[in-house]
Amino acid sequence: MPRVSLTVNGKPVSAEVEDRTLLVELLRETLRLTGTHVGCDTSQCGACVVHVNGDSIKSCTLLARQAEGAEVVTIEGLAAADGTLHPMQEAFREYHALQCGFCTPGMVMSAIDLVKKNPQGLSEQEIREGLEGNLCRCTGYHNIVKAIDAAQQVMHGKVKELPRAAAE
Amino acid sequence: MGSYLRPTSLPEALAALAATPRIVLAGGTDYYPARVGRPPEDDLLDITAIPALAGIAETEEGWRIGAATTWTEVVEAPLPPLFDGLKAAAREVGGAQIQNAGTVAGNLCNASPAADGIPNLLALGATVHLASASGDRVLPVAEFVHGNRRTARRADEIVTAIHIPGPKRAARSVFLKLGARRYLVISIVMVAAVAEFDEDGTIASARIAVGSCSAAAVRLPALEAALAGQRPDPALVAEAHLAPLSPIDDVRASAAYRRDAALTLLRRAVEALR
Ligand SMILES: Cc1cc2nc3c(=O)[nH]c(=O)nc-3n(C[C@H](O)[C@H](O)[C@H](O)COP(=O)(O)OP(=O)(O)OC[C@H]3O[C@@H](n4cnc5c(N)ncnc54)[C@H](O)[C@@H]3O)c2cc1C
Ligand code: FES
Ligand code: FES
Repeated sequence: MPRVSLTVNGKPVSAEVEDRTLLVELLRETLRLTGTHVGCDTSQCGACVVHVNGDSIKSCTLLARQAEGAEVVTIEGLAAADGTLHPMQEAFREYHALQCGFCTPGMVMSAIDLVKKNPQGLSEQEIREGLEGNLCRCTGYHNIVKAIDAAQQVMHGKVKELPRAAAE
Repeated sequence: MGSYLRPTSLPEALAALAATPRIVLAGGTDYYPARVGRPPEDDLLDITAIPALAGIAETEEGWRIGAATTWTEVVEAPLPPLFDGLKAAAREVGGAQIQNAGTVAGNLCNASPAADGIPNLLALGATVHLASASGDRVLPVAEFVHGNRRTARRADEIVTAIHIPGPKRAARSVFLKLGARRYLVISIVMVAAVAEFDEDGTIASARIAVGSCSAAAVRLPALEAALAGQRPDPALVAEAHLAPLSPIDDVRASAAYRRDAALTLLRRAVEALR
């Protein structure tokens, strides 16, 4: 079987894969990084979003071998070694931006890419538009949008600490 | 089980295709979803590692969009207003992840009647550059796309680039699409228009194309003729100009609705050219 070598969450990884193995299968089944989810088979839901060379990509829509040499970051690669969450993860927790959590890894990965690519800051409407490729069946998106808005302020250095959610 | 090739040069890729038929794979955003859960069993030829197919470049005659150019690259490229329509389409193809992977050429080669890129390429007067081990050829988009998922591409050919001729005068373009929602839907009707203007603000020439209203997107020559020499005015759009369209009834819309929506979008497009 052919071998694929890539970097996953900062660590070099090399594995034997079939030609037809999807990147998401390599991540979940070979590397046991099961934080990346599969929610559909039509490239629509976004539960499988990871970063490939700095861009958000649907890992169900890429062969593992297409990621040869690439830098891949998954949801498991976001928190610091001491367990400190990424500001986007922290914001999802603080703002109750998840219910069942199935869409959450993909949502967080998409949101981070969206915020990074828009250093000028995003309006509520722009956040909603930027989440077009990620579906959530539980939350109605409202708290997800609030979480991303709060996280972008931390990520762009506008505030030191995550603004707390108002008690509802 | 299928095999996967990822050549790093065009001659290598063409030799592989000449030897055995393979499915050409670019962004894969049409290819994978079409499998619907079945593993990709085909023999694949991934063209995204071939430098000769990358990127957008200005040429003597206009612009060249390499076959591996993604929609995100189109959005980010510094391009003149001639490309505003194509950029508008690029921003609405799927979401960010689909735009990061999917290519303009893949959209064209897949030849869905609802492909958002194709009406824009028709309106831009684009040509398709094909290469094979036995030689190269160039076809206008209208001769390349034959119908629903049918193109003039031979199995041993790769589309290497799409070329867009530079306009002779100031040019503007617009793209409008109607879907059941704003996002992540297959278009019910889309309209792409490109016009070149004389200094007095009249239209010197226009190319207008409509998608999702026939098996392949088509231009509307009678409307284009009616606009020439006039200032952009929605009242110039007449129902008779829609004659080349043959919309169908399907789950997304009835033929009558599509025709009506096409008329409205065409009027809005002409208005937007002002
Ligand atoms: C969630 C989602 C939303 C989408 N939304 C839209 C939308 O709004 N509008 C729209 O128009 N499309 C949409 N699409 C479809 C798709 O993303 C686009 O058509 C995209 O541009 C396809 O490009 P690709 O590089 O991914 O093509 P691929 O899937 O790699 O290829 C498509 C076809 O073209 C052939 N091919 C590709 N490149 C070449 C080449 N250089 N030479 C010869 N043959 C080639 C392949 O063999 C295949 O048959 C969507 C898809 C998804 C999954
Ligand atoms: S699993 Fe649904 S988009 Fe990838
Ligand atoms: S939290 Fe359940 S799908 Fe989003």
